[in-house]
Amino acid sequence: MAIVERPTAPLELTTGATTTARPMGGFTRPQSTSGWKSWLTTVDHKRIGVMYGGAAMFFFFIGGVEALFIRLQLAAPEQKLYSADLYNQLFTMHGVTMIFLVVIPLGACFMNYLMPLQIGARDVAFPRLNAFSFWCFLGGGLMLNTSWFLGGGANGGWFAYAPNTGVAFSPGHGMDFYAIGLQITGIASLVGAINLVVTVLNMRAPGMTLMKMPVFTWMGFVTQLLLVFAMPVISVALFLLTFDRLFDANFFKVSQGADPLLWEHLFWIFGHPEVYILILPAFGVVSEIIPVFSRKPIFGYPFMVFSGIAIGFMGWGVWAHHMFASGLGPLSVAAFSMSTMFIAVPTGVKILNWLATMWGGKLRFTTPMLFAIGLVAMFTIGGLSGVTHAVAPADTQQTDTYYIVAHFHYVIFGGALMGFIGGLYFWWPKVFGWLLSDKMGKWHFWTLLVGFNLTFGPMHILGLQGMPRRMHTYAKGYGFDFWNMVATIGAFVIAVSMTIFAANVLLSWRKHRRHPVAVGPDPWDARSLEWMTASPVPAHNYDEVPTVSHLDEFWTRKYGEDATGKVVRLHTSEEVAQKGDATDVHLPSPSYWPLVAALALPIVGYGMIFNLGLAAVGGVLLVAAIYGWAYEPADDPEAHHAHLVHGNGESGDGHGDGDTGDGDGAGSGPEPAAVGAPSGSGESEEEGSSDD
Amino acid sequence: MRTRRRRLAPLALVMPLVLLVSACASHAPQTTLEPKGPIARSIDNLFNGVFLVAVFVFFFVELGVLFLVLKFRQRKDDPDPDALPPQTHGNFRLEITWTIIPAVMLALVGFATLTTLFNINRRDENAMTVRVTGQQWFWEYSYDTNGDGKYTDGDVITANDLVIPAGQDINLDIRSNDVIHSYWIPALNGKKDAVPGHQTPLRINADKPGVYVGQCTEFCGLSHGYMRQRVVAMSQGDFDAWLDNQKKDAEMPSSGDAAAGAKLFATQCSGCHLAKGINDAEFAKQGHGKDFLVSGNAPDLTHFATRGVFAGSIFDLWQDTDHDGVVEADEIGGTLNRGDLEAWLRDPPARKPMDAPALPERGQGKIRGMPDLGLQEEQIDQLVAFLQTLD
Repeated sequence: MAIVERPTAPLELTTGATTTARPMGGFTRPQSTSGWKSWLTTVDHKRIGVMYGGAAMFFFFIGGVEALFIRLQLAAPEQKLYSADLYNQLFTMHGVTMIFLVVIPLGACFMNYLMPLQIGARDVAFPRLNAFSFWCFLGGGLMLNTSWFLGGGANGGWFAYAPNTGVAFSPGHGMDFYAIGLQITGIASLVGAINLVVTVLNMRAPGMTLMKMPVFTWMGFVTQLLLVFAMPVISVALFLLTFDRLFDANFFKVSQGADPLLWEHLFWIFGHPEVYILILPAFGVVSEIIPVFSRKPIFGYPFMVFSGIAIGFMGWGVWAHHMFASGLGPLSVAAFSMSTMFIAVPTGVKILNWLATMWGGKLRFTTPMLFAIGLVAMFTIGGLSGVTHAVAPADTQQTDTYYIVAHFHYVIFGGALMGFIGGLYFWWPKVFGWLLSDKMGKWHFWTLLVGFNLTFGPMHILGLQGMPRRMHTYAKGYGFDFWNMVATIGAFVIAVSMTIFAANVLLSWRKHRRHPVAVGPDPWDARSLEWMTASPVPAHNYDEVPTVSHLDEFWTRKYGEDATGKVVRLHTSEEVAQKGDATDVHLPSPSYWPLVAALALPIVGYGMIFNLGLAAVGGVLLVAAIYGWAYEPADDPEAHHAHLVHGNGESGDGHGDGDTGDGDGAGSGPEPAAVGAPSGSGESEEEGSSDD
Repeated sequence: MRTRRRRLAPLALVMPLVLLVSACASHAPQTTLEPKGPIARSIDNLFNGVFLVAVFVFFFVELGVLFLVLKFRQRKDDPDPDALPPQTHGNFRLEITWTIIPAVMLALVGFATLTTLFNINRRDENAMTVRVTGQQWFWEYSYDTNGDGKYTDGDVITANDLVIPAGQDINLDIRSNDVIHSYWIPALNGKKDAVPGHQTPLRINADKPGVYVGQCTEFCGLSHGYMRQRVVAMSQGDFDAWLDNQKKDAEMPSSGDAAAGAKLFATQCSGCHLAKGINDAEFAKQGHGKDFLVSGNAPDLTHFATRGVFAGSIFDLWQDTDHDGVVEADEIGGTLNRGDLEAWLRDPPARKPMDAPALPERGQGKIRGMPDLGLQEEQIDQLVAFLQTLD
């Protein structure tokens, strides 16, 4: 639990003894907030969010290239561009990368950046743990991908069904990397989830009750709760697999009496909530975008919130629909078939509420809005094919065919990714202070929509024609040839589309460098709190923590009833928004230890695979990092705090490490943001968050 | 430009559906949409009904999106573009309505689902039972011909082609010898996993005699894409004759290449393959086919030449004389597909990826699949001559 610290200057002990910056003789805390090194030690939730996004896009490139390789092989029947073994690695790593290293972290990117802002907090509850989460994710993801150079990638499918993943059937190191790499990224998700749950419950701005939180934050909150309960399950499963493979345990060895269905149950008890972990944040993104560009509030806010919660609960009771063919027996199949059907109800409520939000509005078709509408249109297709799988007898014809591949790409690509890309266009000016080109954005959208449907639309047909998944090649004469070629062409259209996106980022940035145009705090006439502070968001988020009295707080400060009772604009955004130029805001100091602790984990991982001595080295490093973390001074009394405040992220006043602060004690200056804490504890909120 | 975009949008949305409908015309022997038996047909009927509901909802939502986009766009000729549209926050009655209507629709779908589900999972106690065993990467079938409830000596064991009588229920008991596989003949029923340590039931029924193709659908390692299977349905009379023949041992060829091939078979192949009447003694000594749960054994070849396909059903054993892509019962025993058979014997892993060389130190040393035996061309000819006699 975060201890809300109230530094008096400098730290005073009751005995009157003076404190030292190095209580254990260790390092002082790093101070710099600019330059590349500051990114390694940052605990700022916004910078961490940006790094999540950047890393996810890097992995998206890798996973996308893997997808193109898969589609090249399947472009025509009986092609042997690469071996069956390499193909099996490609589809396994494509799935693992896209799910664990792209869509989860893209969600984490948005949730990390936006949830504290949307609830009016200065940072998350545990800033150092937040940094630790990110470095764990990056370390685990990179470790997983180094398997390509250390004997080959994982080859058991992302679902990794036992006993095919045992040493007897998969003797290479690929599945070891899978088990340990995902274990490390799982730590990232679990730690991050606890962090954000605590943040949402404890750090909302005064007046922001739960039912005044923006829908995005609500969906993020439900997602984090799902992660808290889902990640331990996959962690257990991965530990069992790791011990089977590395230490000759017998959890999944059928010859020793094990039951391979144990893995299936464990995997899908995690794996199905995982689907909602992927999609709910994107639902949240779209629930922010559609009202803004319809110029109407979200329709049926409580129903949007409760349908999200309902999905979160029901998501735990449907896992065995992945196992309809596994011989569960008709009674279990019937139960899971029914529960799966009824999860479509809250999902349908969401779709209809988005449509109702657009109804009667004045729709502006900016790029974010196009992607949001794209999600509604494409996710609907994925949802409907999902209902056809819930019909268990029909599912026994569809499961493990390309019909399923089509279905979940409509959900995860047409749903989650469409939403996230829309979110990137939407919040880009808030994060970086400049806009992405709307014209190129529209090219991006339309090429993506066409490429996406060309790729995954035909897979419905292929699946119903009986083409199984995970075949490294297919024979002539089964009617698979034509639609596979179409799908391959579509995949390359998607590649072109994503290149347009990359070009958009590059060209828009160059344009901004040449002719900077201030976008102002609120380029879209938006509704929620994050638009009430400067763009880019200053390190301290809000000069003054706002007191919230409405859902869509920012919008209600801009608009109100005029004399005739008509709702009109009363104030410009600039009048309402904060300047972002406050000084002397106390913020958590950066720290080396999250990075060091996270770095130790892949070392342990490599050690477990190749040499236990190396694992011991990693273990020692981890223990050292935990000690360093625990005994790190809560703050560096030598430093003043004004440097943490810079109105413009790029031109921050750039302290070097050995900064010559004027010794201004922590929090000693006049507090510009004295607002009562929401918890009613009487503590002032200006610290925003404290060290964990 | 703007208007053209608007015209393109509906096209992109409707296109997948149009494609779907048009695609049903093409030749697809493994399709799920043309059931050839009562069980698969009841699944198809159910799917068609659900699909209609889905199509209705699809058009409702997608046309709804289109309507909203066209109707409520910010117009250029808006006299007061800054004026806000009516600020509606929600409508309780509407929300309840569109919660209940989908729930009712789904309840109806659910009712139909349950009825079909329990129907197709009924086990027909009077029907013949065949034990189906998956292993990397082929299917083995055991017929309990003496009716003692066990699958032991004296029973018929075949591979690749599952021969059944048409027009009646057949119970399958599906098992696996190594990893999880899934048995699937789309024209006859949905799929059922072969889980090691479990025995899962499936019932199939073919209306008419014919050949029905299928494929393993649970990822089962290296050559998963090359693990195929077929069901050959026959009239009851043909089936009885077939079964009588299968019960017999193979005859030792007396002269020529075939005799040399039989000798070669006994020395080279007994580690994995059995041809009853040819290499029983050698197989009993060398065969490691007794290992349960780790593959190592290979198809029983006693009546190899009565099958239409070989090597996990990926190659035709006989020429497809009517060029319909399928070797039917009347083509079996016709003209040998000598090219594929010889190429297979020359270097099996080159035709079908297999973990056939010795595994690295961490494996259990079992080979999976058929290794390259380094056979001479003359030996291959002898083996082919011998294999043709196994009818």
